[in-house]
Amino acid sequence: MPTPVLMPQMGESIAEGTIVRWIKKVGDSVDRDEPLFEISTDKVDAEIPAPAAGVLTEIKVKEGETVAVNSVVATIGGASEAVATPEPPRPAAAPPAPPTRDAVVAPDVTDPPHVKGSTARRSNGRQAPARAVEDDLRRHRSSPLVRRIARDHHVDIAQIPGSGLGGRVTKHDILGYIGEQGSGVREQESMSHDSGARVEIKPLSVMRKKIAEHMVMSRRTSAHVHSVFHVNFSTVEKIRQQKKAEYEQSGARLTYMAFIAKAVVAALRKFPIVNASLEGDNVLYKKDINIGIAVALESGLIVPVIKRADEKNLLGMSRAIVDLADRARSKQLKPEDVHDGTFTITNPGQFGSQFGMPIINQPQVAILGVGTIEKRPIVVDDAIAIRTMAYLTLGYDHRLVDGATGDQFLAEIKQQIEHFDPSAA
Amino acid sequence: MSNSYDVVVVGAGTGGYVAAIRAAQLGKSVAVVEKQKALGGTCLIWGCIPTKALLEHAHALKVIQHASEWGVTLPSGSPAIDMTQVQARKDKIVTTLTKGIEFLFKKNKITWIKGTARLAGPGTVDVVDGDRQTLQAKEIILATGSSPRSVPNVQIDHARIITSDEAIHLKQVPASLVILGSGAVGVEFASIYQRFGSEVTVIELVNRLVPVEDEAVSAELEKSFKKQGITVLTGTKVTRASATATGVEVDAETPDGSTRKISADLLLVATGRGPVTTGLGVEDAGIALERGYINVDELYRTSVTGVSAIGDVITLGTGPHPQLAHVSSMEGVIVAERIAGKPVQPINYDHVPGCTYCDPEIGSVGLTEAQARQRGYDVAIGTFPFGVLGRARMAGETEGFVKIVADKKYDELLGVHLIGPRSTELVAEAVLALRLECTAEELIKTIHAHPTFSEAVGEAAHAVHGAAIHV
Repeated sequence: MPTPVLMPQMGESIAEGTIVRWIKKVGDSVDRDEPLFEISTDKVDAEIPAPAAGVLTEIKVKEGETVAVNSVVATIGGASEAVATPEPPRPAAAPPAPPTRDAVVAPDVTDPPHVKGSTARRSNGRQAPARAVEDDLRRHRSSPLVRRIARDHHVDIAQIPGSGLGGRVTKHDILGYIGEQGSGVREQESMSHDSGARVEIKPLSVMRKKIAEHMVMSRRTSAHVHSVFHVNFSTVEKIRQQKKAEYEQSGARLTYMAFIAKAVVAALRKFPIVNASLEGDNVLYKKDINIGIAVALESGLIVPVIKRADEKNLLGMSRAIVDLADRARSKQLKPEDVHDGTFTITNPGQFGSQFGMPIINQPQVAILGVGTIEKRPIVVDDAIAIRTMAYLTLGYDHRLVDGATGDQFLAEIKQQIEHFDPSAA
Repeated sequence: MSNSYDVVVVGAGTGGYVAAIRAAQLGKSVAVVEKQKALGGTCLIWGCIPTKALLEHAHALKVIQHASEWGVTLPSGSPAIDMTQVQARKDKIVTTLTKGIEFLFKKNKITWIKGTARLAGPGTVDVVDGDRQTLQAKEIILATGSSPRSVPNVQIDHARIITSDEAIHLKQVPASLVILGSGAVGVEFASIYQRFGSEVTVIELVNRLVPVEDEAVSAELEKSFKKQGITVLTGTKVTRASATATGVEVDAETPDGSTRKISADLLLVATGRGPVTTGLGVEDAGIALERGYINVDELYRTSVTGVSAIGDVITLGTGPHPQLAHVSSMEGVIVAERIAGKPVQPINYDHVPGCTYCDPEIGSVGLTEAQARQRGYDVAIGTFPFGVLGRARMAGETEGFVKIVADKKYDELLGVHLIGPRSTELVAEAVLALRLECTAEELIKTIHAHPTFSEAVGEAAHAVHGAAIHV
């Protein structure tokens, strides 16, 4: 019996996935649960295991192609089945044809990307939060066209001053807002380089595209402000040195990040507005504290989330951080590992930066940037002393968090770090 | 002072009288100076109303000519048109409507001053004939309109070489009629007099009929005109036209360079309309003009403070300003509201509907396919023929189509072009759709009643996305 291999649904809100790499080739035999191919979705990259043991008889979706979830991407035959015989089950949704020369010559015959994109989004992408957003858009005076443009550009219509009747946001308003020229003047996509210029053109990876969209969307959505504190890590450093061996014996690595995450949790408890998000005219206070930690990858960036971080002690926090970072780098994250963050910590200091000015991870309202932690001369009681220091930057959304709150929040983190209770370690 | 007003409007056409009523509704004291004997201007007296009345006569005749198809038995003899009755009915319609405006003026306490206005310094208007007087005005609105304009080589004599002003009053149907120009005026009179029995030739300088419309609409109209027996000469230039004792002689240079001599009873010049400012004293008042049109900004302010201008007489300096009654009216509303201190917004001239009452009718709004491409849109087209519709078959009117021009990127409706039955009414839906920044998707999901002609609009929207249901 041939077994169809489907594009898995990696999380409720995911509509499609891109095959990044086939680990097995046609004719290879595979064991059940052996990694078969690698995919990239708008949430995670993941290795997908074979659903059954047998011989990979057919690959239907090539590397680099994107198909809707539950599309058949390959067929695994019984161990004895010949490679060339399969009668493949009809795919649930036909994978799009690869771009061929014909398609280029006759572009007006069909418009599959457009049609497919919209239906896929409709059938899968409209779970509760998306609908809430859509209703919200409708409440703001706008037009079908404006809502369409807003969706394509991830723009919050509420942020756009409307010039139409009764404050209606018009096409002109939104095109001005997103910086596109009005009345159909298109950006010349090929104008940035001459046709003969010595450049190499490579399409963006799914992850890169998503990062680009999310970052620009966040900049457009939030009123970003940043505060920077200089924090003394000497106490933390002392505890770390004392406890390192002990932690290693129980299989954990005691990093600065664990201390910082603990301090952040304590500060978030004290300032729940920083653990909130803005939904239309409402503030959503989140009961759980889920800390996302940005992990740099070769090809991008991912933010796995420590769920219920407020329930973890320092050891638990250390374990969670190391586990998520390792799995992020080996592409073993599950979709739920990257969902539901309520606050994010990023660590530009690991590459030597004194401090960063991070962009908020939407729909959160704040992000902590950790600068490089190093020994620096500081003034202690009118004498110059050497201490382990770092700059901590808080990027926060001024729509919800004012400077006073942001600074008090950072001051609380500083307080927690500089006076870390050794008995808690 | 009795002849001091908040607003003095010069011209009682569809721009001027609407501006006057709106200003009065908003509490202004208003006087309107009009040199004609009746209110309503070109639209009511010489334009929209009388021509459309004649077209209804033509339509009635068309139905009767096809009486046997409908199973209607006529007394012997072929149906013919009685121009005396036609003119009487048309004149009665015009009179009723102009009286209607008189009533509206009384109701809104607007003073109608009969005479010719001349600007006489800041806030001052002299009425130089008729009810001679000097008017003081806080605000002056110029709405003097337009009149038919000829082309070089053709001298209008108002007898054999006529304009639309004369064409609406003809006491008898000419045996043959040459029409110079195929804009709305040209093709409407072509339809009227062809139906009334004239042998009609339409000469157009551009290489297609109704050059402001989408090219597909032009092609469809030409096909229909030729089928009806109208001679269509496009890409053709009139080099000479002269009246004789019995008619006119026209020399026309055809695209192949040869000259064609055409004789006819009458030559109707329908090559466009120019601004009317004669005697108004705009130059002396220091008002900036462009090719004779009054220059205004997007809220219809002229270069002189306290003087606004609207309608056919203006130019916004951004290419041709549409000379349409409904545009003038809207400009009148906007200017009155602006003067009354209400918040106003400029008109989007891409959303102005155009209606041409030739047979088959044309209704259009927004960008043509060519304009959309020129503006750099990635264009998607959806077309649906009326002939497929049950409703069109019942009416026996199966010519024409609905063509929708949309933007692929955001699915925006850019233009809707209709030719065929009820197109001048059907375009209303499209105007609202463009005004509300509708997408093709929204139009697809809008339920169109069955059986109606409007189903073609919904189907054309389907076709934009690649699949009409009924073709």
